[in-house]
Amino acid sequence: MIEFESVAKVYDGRRRALSDVNFRLAPGEMAFLTGHSGAGKSTLLRLILGLETASSGTVRVAGADLSTLSGEKLARYRRRVGVVFQDPNLEEDLSVFDNVALPLRISGFNESEIPKRVKAALSRVDLSDQASASPHVLSGGQQQRVGIARAIVHRPALLVADEPTGNLDPELSARVMRMFTQFQQLGVTILVATHERAVVESLPFRRLVIENGTLISDGMGAN
Amino acid sequence: MSRWILDHIRAAHDAWKRTSDRLTQFVILVSLLGILLAIPGWLAQIWLGMVSLVPEDAVRSEAIVFLKQELDIEARIDLERALAEMPDIDQIIFVPRSAALEQLSAQDGLGPIADLKSNNPLPDAFRVKFSAQGVESRENQVVESLTSDQRIFALRYYPSTRIQYMSLVETLGFLGIGLSALTVIGVLMAVFLVAAADVVDDRRRIKLYTLLGAPRHFIRRPYLYRATLLGILAGLTACLVISLLNEVMSTTLASNLRALDRRLEDFPTDGRILIGVALTAILASWIGAERAVSRQLRALH
Repeated sequence: MIEFESVAKVYDGRRRALSDVNFRLAPGEMAFLTGHSGAGKSTLLRLILGLETASSGTVRVAGADLSTLSGEKLARYRRRVGVVFQDPNLEEDLSVFDNVALPLRISGFNESEIPKRVKAALSRVDLSDQASASPHVLSGGQQQRVGIARAIVHRPALLVADEPTGNLDPELSARVMRMFTQFQQLGVTILVATHERAVVESLPFRRLVIENGTLISDGMGAN
Repeated sequence: MSRWILDHIRAAHDAWKRTSDRLTQFVILVSLLGILLAIPGWLAQIWLGMVSLVPEDAVRSEAIVFLKQELDIEARIDLERALAEMPDIDQIIFVPRSAALEQLSAQDGLGPIADLKSNNPLPDAFRVKFSAQGVESRENQVVESLTSDQRIFALRYYPSTRIQYMSLVETLGFLGIGLSALTVIGVLMAVFLVAAADVVDDRRRIKLYTLLGAPRHFIRRPYLYRATLLGILAGLTACLVISLLNEVMSTTLASNLRALDRRLEDFPTDGRILIGVALTAILASWIGAERAVSRQLRALH
């Protein structure tokens, strides 16, 4: 699903954020991307999301070389990817339902199809009863789950999460990770960037460790 | 309802939400733009108003060219052609000596001159009208070259009021143009800055929409709707200010003009100015929003 081939990213011609990164993530696989702050995790995710282009090497997602995509093609590619942020980035002006429906409306889904999909996504994150609520009345954990529902509502083949448990307590973190595990079992490819060791070590998934822009370890978790 | 219409309704609703969330800022901006745009509009109104009121002899110089001897038709056409080719000459009217005598005798106290018909002492003449855009130096050149022409006996040149006060007119014109340009630049800067600040506030939202795969036009739409609303309201405010200024400031002028000619009683605001000002307001706010969103989208990559 994701293929990095000798990928390097240099900013302003001198600041090296990634060097010679190589890895492949198979369809339906789940992996953690770990490393300290500033190690290069965010740059790697930005490359996958098409917000950056590699200075050298190739980034392929679902067979498409991302450096060749731009404009409408890039937007279409992003519509097939789900993104979960550390801060759920919900639209305060919209209800939970409308927030979750956002990717569907952007993708041009039929209006009659949208309620069914949104309800299904909200029920996956146990928030069916909060559909009409405004995001600011929800707790941090609930907001994060709305963010997750928004990321999966259009049934993406790839889910990218950037520190999804960064603002949550351990219990909620574990719950969010259980949800990711369920999505992975449904065939979604998942890449989770996190620096929380406890989260990574509690789950039996592949672990990519990055340090100073270099992939120093690629193996299975401790359990 | 089609997806396209729904998207537009949502964008318009979104734009209205943003506007009502920052209503004070929006009202101040509309008033500021309206008043600033009214300045060049009002100056243009004065200029166009004066142009329509100023009598022709105030803007067009004239010369009476007396011929040395009676010319045959061919020689006259030849001279007429030579005059027509000179710069800034707009109209040439041949005045035969008999017609000149008749016109002269029609004037008060000059009736007896008509008796001289059989021994008319007046020469044939050309009445030459210069163009309304004529320049003093070029008109002087024409006068000089005519004076040195062997076929011409004498010449009387009546410079227009505009030519007589050319330096003052030019200074005022440049001041008006300068002031208008400055206010238009001010308007553009104000619009661009506010649009940029508005979009910077929404950076997080623009990034979210980009990552969700929203096309550029989808992201831009609410901002363009808001810009259109801003432009329309600012344009209307400018039109209102111009009309009010015209109504209040031209009252004395209109009452004086009425004494001269009842047709000049009305001093209406020129529709072209109102349309121009309204379009400038809409265009400026549109370009401002478009530019701000595009810059923000470029900054994401």
